Amino acid sequence: MRTQAVQAALNRHAPFVLSLLAGAALWEIAGRNASPAFLVPLSETLVRLWELTASGQLGAQALDSATLFVTGLALAVAVGMPLGLLLARVRALRVGIEPYVMILYATPMVALIPFILALMGFGFGPKVLVVFLFAVFPVLYNTIEGARSIKPELIEVARAYRSSESALWREVMLPYTLPYTMTGVRQAIGRGLVGMVAAEFFLSSTGLGQLIMTASQNFDTGGVFAIILIIGLLGVALMRLGLFIEQRFARWRN
Amino acid sequence: MTDAAISRHQARAWLSTAALSRLVCGLVLLLSWEIAVRAFAPAYVAKPSGVLAAIPRVIVDPAFLQATGITLAAVAEGLAIALAAGIPLGLAMGRSLIVDRSLRHYVNGFYAVPMIVVLPLVSLWFGYSGAARLATIVFAAVFSIIINVADGARSVPKDYLEVASSFRSRRLRAMVDIVLPSATPYLLAGLRLAAGRALIGAVVAEFFTAIGGLGYFILYNSRTYKHDEAFVGVLLLAAFGVGFELFVATSTRRFLPWYRRDEHAN
Repeated sequence: MRTQAVQAALNRHAPFVLSLLAGAALWEIAGRNASPAFLVPLSETLVRLWELTASGQLGAQALDSATLFVTGLALAVAVGMPLGLLLARVRALRVGIEPYVMILYATPMVALIPFILALMGFGFGPKVLVVFLFAVFPVLYNTIEGARSIKPELIEVARAYRSSESALWREVMLPYTLPYTMTGVRQAIGRGLVGMVAAEFFLSSTGLGQLIMTASQNFDTGGVFAIILIIGLLGVALMRLGLFIEQRFARWRN
Repeated sequence: MTDAAISRHQARAWLSTAALSRLVCGLVLLLSWEIAVRAFAPAYVAKPSGVLAAIPRVIVDPAFLQATGITLAAVAEGLAIALAAGIPLGLAMGRSLIVDRSLRHYVNGFYAVPMIVVLPLVSLWFGYSGAARLATIVFAAVFSIIINVADGARSVPKDYLEVASSFRSRRLRAMVDIVLPSATPYLLAGLRLAAGRALIGAVVAEFFTAIGGLGYFILYNSRTYKHDEAFVGVLLLAAFGVGFELFVATSTRRFLPWYRRDEHAN
């Protein structure tokens, strides 16, 4: 019994561990054989990462980035969700605004960065605006999509039984739209992260974006790899978080 | 009136109120933008009337046309590379447990990396050139194609493959004739995502490396305080984004009518 369980676990996890080791080995070998301006081995990247961490640089800049990301994302949810729900309830308004939200959802928001720079300059505000613009439309778009999925019959039945507005929200509107909103929040997390780095690259240079820029300007390839590794791991962790949030709410969808 | 005529009449009435409320909302949005800019912002800031006036000038401007052509060609080339690399890899991941388990974490990991962070790296590798932009586009696009094709290949009904193998079809044959067609809707969903990301990738690469293209056109014009002209570029990008959404949506409905787009696509 026991050995069987061990065997099963081994079958499940061995390929993953092996692929991780193989990837690390590949990186190490390629790095040792390539010009150090192009690629540095994993070991050197880790050493550089440790240096950046020990000097306190990484922690301080990561905190800076996190503040920007969380502020922008929180604003996007705080605006996108109520607005989406309002549109869900007021049908005439929703029909009118829907196409514009769809257009803005599909527009690459990075293209607006030069305008934001010219108008608002280099402060914290414009950077938050960038993260906000990247993140708000997925929330809004998906909330509206959820509102569309509510069968009109449900609202009619609720009305026919003279349910109050608050009961209608509690029993029909929220349960039907929230799961979609959470899909939007998951997308917003991913897009917001792109917005965060874009703001740090193209507006005033701060946070993790600044660390990468300085490293690349100093031809410190190890530093570039170290920060990319950190942002990558951050991206993976945030995506997991997004999926978790989405699945928690998806339980009552269908 | 017959029932059909009544419902047709109702449909038309509804359609016209929908169109009307869209028109009204659009006008209100544009008008508040116009008023806000006129009241609070400096004269060079883009406003609807200015952008409208700039459109006829910009769309015949050879610099604009050339920039658009360059960026679109780069996006198309990058998407072609991403498809050529992503489809076989996705099929292999979807049909082989070993391949899937060894590659899945890398693919998901790279997909979650905000593509924009690779810019300093690709500009280090390829210089400030079109190759850096192409690499960014491919990186932005390829992983959503791999993930979606793998999902599609995984969801092929078992019966089909059993029939194929009991008729002694070779594996490659079954891959091309059965797995690939039934993964096509997923591929289209992946392509829709990939195209949006590719467009963003092209623009950020042009911002970063200052190589010619639509992104650089926007950057340059906004720096020289020609915001109305620059905004025409933004409108074009939005049109591409929306156009591709619609293209994929209608071609899925037209050619794969049995398939309902699944909600979990990012």
